[in-house]
Amino acid sequence: MPVAQPLVADKVSLAFGGLQVLTDVSMTLQPGIVTGLIGPNGAGKTSLFNCLTGLYHSQRGDISFAGKALQGLGPAERAALGIARSFQNLALCPDLTVLENVLVGLTLTRRGGWFSAFVPTAGRRAEQAESGRRAMAALTELGIAASAHQMPSELPPGTLRLAEIARAIVSEPNAILLDEPAAGLNAVETQDLMCALQRLMRPDLVLLIVEHDMDLIMQLCQHIYVLNFGKMIASGTPDEIRAHPDVISIYLGDDADD
Amino acid sequence: MRFGFVALAAVLMLAPLIAGGFLLYSLSLCLANALAVLSVSVLVRYGGEVSIGHGFFVAVGAYTVAIMEHQLGLSVLAGAPVAVVLGGIAGFVFAFPSRRLSGIYFAVATMALALALPEILIGFEKITGGFEGLYIALDLIPGVSKAVQRYYVDLAVLGLACLALAQFRHSRQGMALLMARAQPRAAEAMGITISWARISIFTLSAALASLAGALLGFSSSTVSPNSFTFWTGVFLLVGSVVSLNGLSLPAALVGGAFITLVPTYLAQAGDWVPILYGIALIAVTLIANAGDLRRFLPGGRR
Repeated sequence: MPVAQPLVADKVSLAFGGLQVLTDVSMTLQPGIVTGLIGPNGAGKTSLFNCLTGLYHSQRGDISFAGKALQGLGPAERAALGIARSFQNLALCPDLTVLENVLVGLTLTRRGGWFSAFVPTAGRRAEQAESGRRAMAALTELGIAASAHQMPSELPPGTLRLAEIARAIVSEPNAILLDEPAAGLNAVETQDLMCALQRLMRPDLVLLIVEHDMDLIMQLCQHIYVLNFGKMIASGTPDEIRAHPDVISIYLGDDADD
Repeated sequence: MRFGFVALAAVLMLAPLIAGGFLLYSLSLCLANALAVLSVSVLVRYGGEVSIGHGFFVAVGAYTVAIMEHQLGLSVLAGAPVAVVLGGIAGFVFAFPSRRLSGIYFAVATMALALALPEILIGFEKITGGFEGLYIALDLIPGVSKAVQRYYVDLAVLGLACLALAQFRHSRQGMALLMARAQPRAAEAMGITISWARISIFTLSAALASLAGALLGFSSSTVSPNSFTFWTGVFLLVGSVVSLNGLSLPAALVGGAFITLVPTYLAQAGDWVPILYGIALIAVTLIANAGDLRRFLPGGRR
């Protein structure tokens, strides 16, 4: 039984050579609520995201999940702890169907040794059917079950984006980190995504969304962090963020993007 | 499609009734070489890497069968499984230190295997037979003519290998390897370790090459440094390219037939053989970065 535990970043600093990307960034992602991370282009959102997922390793600061320090662990080891992510750029395998791409998201939970990789044993068939059912359920959840057996090259970017999110959620991880999930989605697809994410919410799930789409963030998130020039400038509920003077100056001032 | 496959299977099954003598012998070699080509294609498809040193693993398999017969008096029936294991071990031993190499650097590393091969075969004269090599005389099925049993054993193993690879494509490991090759970062985010992927696929490919070597030794009745040179691995790569890195039985047969029959039947053409290989190799160079011809094909799949 998973225990509800937060994902914590404590005074994380990251520099590439002389370029300071993140400075003493702290955030606590509480389970049971949707947390948003916003900020202008180049604010360091994706860098922070990559620090959380293990793609980058911060020079200073600690990251821990469920009380376990994550420093020094690579992406695969963090995945094994139940942290799943999606990618800003579509990262589906072009040789696999949409369903198979989602199935790969179950790799860690799937059994089956090397012998059954080559020989269709009864155990393998049962396991495949069970995994297929779970993958199909994730696709249905996001409303793209009809595209399950198509190749990524045959589908529009919006569907692929949803497929990638399906892949992140299929293993029922303890933490889901989504990097701009609504990028490339039209209004209807964004709405579907939002409903799907709300259905996904469990009391023990940590859910972080990095996003440009302010409407989506404001509607979906209960807690929002704002990053600018590598520093955390504000955090709070959507109402607090809306009223925050620094946030207003970033988003409504001369630097406004999107 | 289905009809075509049945027709191909029928032709392959009935070939020994029509063909005999040298042609049947050549066809057996085609089948064994097809499996060797398949081992290179597996590496290209699932690992995205090019090896020019697979001749090494083929030699491991062939010499395993020969040495087991000479030292222990065991036939290919015992030799082939041992060859698979030893080939896999050799592949692992090579892949582990090379796991962070890719592209041209990896290909150059495999060249070390190809360059070392003749030296090893000659150096360990006592067990490899040195320049003269070893003969493989034991039959697998007593009472059946040598030519016929060679052909059917090769055909059966090649057929089973293709079936097993078709299963592998839909297995947990197969899909994880494809993901690791196409989207390494995404694969890692799903818990697939890239080093694991690289070592696994190379070990698998080397084991397959070694099995092909066992068949090749069995079918040609002899192993010697003349049959396993630096060029063996290069020819296998050419065969893989000619078969469009395909993992199906027809694709493997095209590759195997190309590298077996072209040198045999164009022997009198002499200088044209390397030129033909040269043309095929230029194709390799052109696609080296992609390691994959499929994207040039209509449909772009399979």
